Amino acid sequence: MSKSSKPGIKIPVKNGIEQTVRTLLNKALGHSIDALLMPVKVPSKDSYAWILMQDSDVVNDASPMAAGMPVQGAKALKSLTRKGGGSLRVAALMRPCEVRAAIELVKLNQINLENVVLISYDCPGALPLSELSDNFEAAEKKFKVLLSSRCFDSPDVKPVCQFCTGFSMGAADIHIGLADGDTGHLLLISGSPKGKAFLSAAGLNVDEDLSAYKKQVDLILKKKTQKTKEIFQAVQPMVEGLENLAETFSNCIGCHNCQSACPICYCRQCYFDSKESKLEPAYYMEKAEKRGGVSFPHDRVLFHVGRMSHMSLSCVSCGQCTDACPVSIPVAKVFSYVASQTQQAFEYSAGKSVSEAIPLKEFKEDELQKIHEIVKSAESQESPHE
Amino acid sequence: MNKILITDQGAEQSVVEVLRFLLDNKKVGGVLTLRQTSKKGSLDYGLLTRSEELDRAVPLMPVMPANAAQILSSLTPAKKPIAAVVKPCELRGFVERIKREQGSLDNVLTISMTCGGVIPLDISIKTSKNKLTPKYYEQVKAGEIPENIRPTCKTCEHFVPMTADITISVVGEKGLDSTCRFILNSDKAASMTEGFGRIEDGGLDTKVLDDHLKKRQTKNKNLLESLKSQLDGLDGLVDIFGKCIGCHGCSRVCPICYCVLCDFESRSFDQNVTFYEEELTQKGALRLPPDTLFFHLGRLSHMSFSCVGCGQCADVCPADIPVASVFKKIGENTAALFDYVPGRDVEEDIPVMVFKEEEFKELGE
Repeated sequence: MSKSSKPGIKIPVKNGIEQTVRTLLNKALGHSIDALLMPVKVPSKDSYAWILMQDSDVVNDASPMAAGMPVQGAKALKSLTRKGGGSLRVAALMRPCEVRAAIELVKLNQINLENVVLISYDCPGALPLSELSDNFEAAEKKFKVLLSSRCFDSPDVKPVCQFCTGFSMGAADIHIGLADGDTGHLLLISGSPKGKAFLSAAGLNVDEDLSAYKKQVDLILKKKTQKTKEIFQAVQPMVEGLENLAETFSNCIGCHNCQSACPICYCRQCYFDSKESKLEPAYYMEKAEKRGGVSFPHDRVLFHVGRMSHMSLSCVSCGQCTDACPVSIPVAKVFSYVASQTQQAFEYSAGKSVSEAIPLKEFKEDELQKIHEIVKSAESQESPHE
Repeated sequence: MNKILITDQGAEQSVVEVLRFLLDNKKVGGVLTLRQTSKKGSLDYGLLTRSEELDRAVPLMPVMPANAAQILSSLTPAKKPIAAVVKPCELRGFVERIKREQGSLDNVLTISMTCGGVIPLDISIKTSKNKLTPKYYEQVKAGEIPENIRPTCKTCEHFVPMTADITISVVGEKGLDSTCRFILNSDKAASMTEGFGRIEDGGLDTKVLDDHLKKRQTKNKNLLESLKSQLDGLDGLVDIFGKCIGCHGCSRVCPICYCVLCDFESRSFDQNVTFYEEELTQKGALRLPPDTLFFHLGRLSHMSFSCVGCGQCADVCPADIPVASVFKKIGENTAALFDYVPGRDVEEDIPVMVFKEEEFKELGE
């Protein structure tokens, strides 16, 4: 068997998974990489922030596998690499959905991964931001148990995490395998030549057979896929037809937190916040006179539909939108469902691979035949105008 | 002496009927009011032009899905007269916006109320509407500070509208369920409501309001004391704003932050990798995205003297940072340096727009 079919290595867990990871990364710091990007507790010890670090003391303070995701990691990576330049070699440790978002942002020219090693792990899910705010210590404790017991079906993680089918290995250069239930070890799996080089620079040569691990991942995946089906069945009526959509978003106050917390919505200024979207005072009065009344903040449903049409192909179902919503709208469930539909239509999977082009940037003559057929049949049924 | 319009039905219904009167008699082309919009009781502001649309109006509902100052900006200058029922801080916010050329009072009949405070969004969303207000009104009628209102509302000393054409008397009004008193503060108010109902001489009950003010002042003083220690120096600020996730929702819902594109979202703060590399070498570690605290300090320096303490910012903060209390407190302090009260008078210039040779002598020295 060639080496590439056995891209893993098993290493023992010492003083917990996080400490094992910190030790590993500390060894690489200053050699194969110049800096690390990881979550660290904020000074008030009640949340996490993304910290780019060079100092091994800071590494020892870091929370590589944080209980929650106050800021989506792809956003941190974007602010670092968007303008390019420099030669700083960075390893970023992120959740799989953060890696997926980073991959999408590469395609949208917002992230440059040239000098970045992406490291990810089998993710138990993230706890909701509100839980971190309510009692950070308790949240951390709870998450540490999920992590050390390798629990992937917790009902305490964010709603989208509970049915996340992308919780395991994706496009990361190195993946930390935790799902095989062997709590005494963790697997390091190289996902790219870059990852392999990183591991061998650390003196880790991959030759572990991964079939047992993969079997476990598949089992979890099967359960999550079933759960996804159930959830999507419940969500479907929430978005079918304008009336249901309006009801779903009826509590929206137009703060656009969902959009600014979204890793994919990279526009500096959303159209819906722009001057172009502001209309003359007389327009609203005329509209009100036609309908009897108009609603303010204006165009809230249109905002969500607009956002869907812009980003659902790249939605990675990270759930940040729901966390940021001040009026508890299940934005993420709705967007995740719509995304599953749009991505299926183009046989696209957001964040899977840098080499897969975003569907809207590509023209295929034979795509969306179904829609073509629907239009055709509708046309043929139309009665002649004469 | 002012004139008061007195009705003999409950306050909410009375306000609806006044609005209906204004619409039906073509005194205004539209009314802006809170209304119920969905089966589950969601609320929004509606610009209503037809009488029957008022059936769902809840003009006195103590919630604030948006600060109406923002909405009034998009509706003005109005070609046709409109009447707007807004809370005192929304009216003050609008006055501040007008000073920034973001709207006009021409053709707007402003109706406000002595305000018992606003129930936070997260509570109002999760509570059925019939359970939301009984306790609230019990306390408002008794001149008490309701328990379930926003922290900033509890400490608000400007619950009596400053510039409204019509003031609805709510705080301390024991008979709120069977009568409503509208104080007509302007000739416009008097002429527009002429023919609606009984008019008497009179005004607000200053004794009741003064007593209520004292309660709020005490709360405000306590807030100042408790924040003072927290806000001390950079470390205190880092502790408070350290968990900010940078969504900038606070600035987007703020009635004063009117910039279409906040500087902190513009290109001016973009840096390339080389810049971060140098920073990293100097500091050993840096936070990404950067400028978390800087954003809040920048916003404070831009808008704090005009902060009306409405509390929208805290309500939308996903990280539960007490943004509103901090901003209100700092705002009061900066405004006081200039003897300025945001929203007091549309003719009063914003402090940073006027230069007085003799001000801040102590800084000069």
